[in-house]
Amino acid sequence: MDKNIRVKKYLLSAFLLILAGTVLSLFTGKYPLASALLGGEDPQAVKVFLALRLPRTCMALLGGFGLGTAGYVYQMVFHNPLASPDIIGVSSGASAGAAFGILFLSAGAFPVTAASFLGGLTAVALTLALTRLAPGTGQGTIVLAGIAVHSLAQTLLMILKLTADPERELASIEYWIMGSLNAVSLYRLPFTAVLCLFCLAGIFLLRRQVLLLSVDQEEGRMLGVAVEKIRFLVLLLATLLTAAIISLTGLISFIGLIAPHTARLLTKDNSFPTLFLGGLLGSFLLLSADLLARSVTAGELPVSIFTSLLGVPFLLYLMLKRN
Amino acid sequence: MKTSPFFSAENISCGYGSRKVLTDVNFSLPQGSVTGLLGANGSGKSTLLKAICRQLPHKGTCTLEGRALGSLSLRQLSQRVSYIPQKSGIHVSLPLLEVVMMGFNPSLGLLQNPSALQRRAARSALASVGLGEMEDTDYLTLSEGQKQLCILARTIVEDTVLLLLDEPDSALDLHNRYQGMKMLQKLLLDKNKAALICLHDPALALDFCSQLLLLKDGKCTACLRPAIDSLSVMQEALSDIYGPLSLIRCKDSQGKERLVLLSEML
Repeated sequence: MDKNIRVKKYLLSAFLLILAGTVLSLFTGKYPLASALLGGEDPQAVKVFLALRLPRTCMALLGGFGLGTAGYVYQMVFHNPLASPDIIGVSSGASAGAAFGILFLSAGAFPVTAASFLGGLTAVALTLALTRLAPGTGQGTIVLAGIAVHSLAQTLLMILKLTADPERELASIEYWIMGSLNAVSLYRLPFTAVLCLFCLAGIFLLRRQVLLLSVDQEEGRMLGVAVEKIRFLVLLLATLLTAAIISLTGLISFIGLIAPHTARLLTKDNSFPTLFLGGLLGSFLLLSADLLARSVTAGELPVSIFTSLLGVPFLLYLMLKRN
Repeated sequence: MKTSPFFSAENISCGYGSRKVLTDVNFSLPQGSVTGLLGANGSGKSTLLKAICRQLPHKGTCTLEGRALGSLSLRQLSQRVSYIPQKSGIHVSLPLLEVVMMGFNPSLGLLQNPSALQRRAARSALASVGLGEMEDTDYLTLSEGQKQLCILARTIVEDTVLLLLDEPDSALDLHNRYQGMKMLQKLLLDKNKAALICLHDPALALDFCSQLLLLKDGKCTACLRPAIDSLSVMQEALSDIYGPLSLIRCKDSQGKERLVLLSEML
């Protein structure tokens, strides 16, 4: 089959899956919305739909797309298929920030979101500052600096956990680290959504430069790429995107790694459709994981359990099929 | 009045850390022809190419069309000079067409994408190196020789005036080696460009290069012009870097006069 047609079929399939997932996500939950909305006589149903269900579904779509896109960027920039947002410390920084927020600010959702966002950004700023101080400017230097900052943030997190009250605070920290879309609401979504859309627009506009960053630094320079500046810019966008998402949802594991990988196994390269398909697959994965997280048991389970449970078998299937 | 050469390198010296690799190398390149860079392993050939394209800090001046390369911005440099390393540093799966279209980057704005015309030009460049049917193929799945051809296609679309090629033929078979050199020669002649090409095969260099620069221990020991210089001068200069050899003038089956080099190290 012609490659373009094959890729278009994958994109269309991903759209249809997302569409079906969106409808299911909007009408699945404790409050039975479908009959209430169709009846048109339940103002509470409209309120639940607009204030909770719709923002939550939008966040699943946007968050999954963002994590998939950021994963693609990290993997291209670091020439490493295993690269993920934590390679430069953003996830561990956000976790330490969230733990700090839970312990010292307030139990409210907004302070925790703000603290984790700042934690993620501080970690990345520290990584990039360390990279500047080191004599080399290659990916290896950034990765080493990222490992150092990641370890530092993990240590800080451990100390914060040790001081936490095991009944309430420690449980909150652990729950945050496993991720959930439970805290998403109409009032908290706009800031994250605007930041995500801004970063996504930037990455998509710079997509050709991201491809050029996948070439060795010296070769890239001779192709007219201001490697250090562009790499800083796209990493900043991908990091802001990740920090904006996980500060609201808690850590969501695996999407940044698996979504671009799966897209690559389907399209068989890293060109623009792969970036887009990776984002769509990320959306579908988070949408499905969130659906399961709030419908499998009476209570709500962490979403990361399902992103891994759904993603791993599919990735293994594609790997085995390829071999 | 003496006209300045198209490209000149004056007193180029550089190295890696405290290890000096090149010492006061001087030469110039004529327009519309290939200059071969010959020398034993470790003589400084690749280092010289890297110094010219500013990948290595160096002493001395390189001047292209009257402008010092050191005074150009990175973008201006990439619009004038192409550098093809021994092995291209592409480590992720990309379709060949995408790899070739990277060559348009120096002429595109930061957010600009290649036009339909440029896409067609990239396809035609791929076809010219014999990879026309493989535009969707993953670059990483190609043989090393095909990768070199693909990078040659990228160099064609880059359309710069100075080409620096580091053993672009090292993985090519005999047919593609000669085909590639013929294509390069035609490109330089048609568009009045110049190329400095690092080669390990002196026979190929004698067939295609109008000028040969010989490097030994980081110094330029000779600048030969196969069309003008006598056999004895060339034989002596080449023997100095490759050991005892014979250089013979003979005619091929089409009656074309060629130079044949036989190593006497048997």
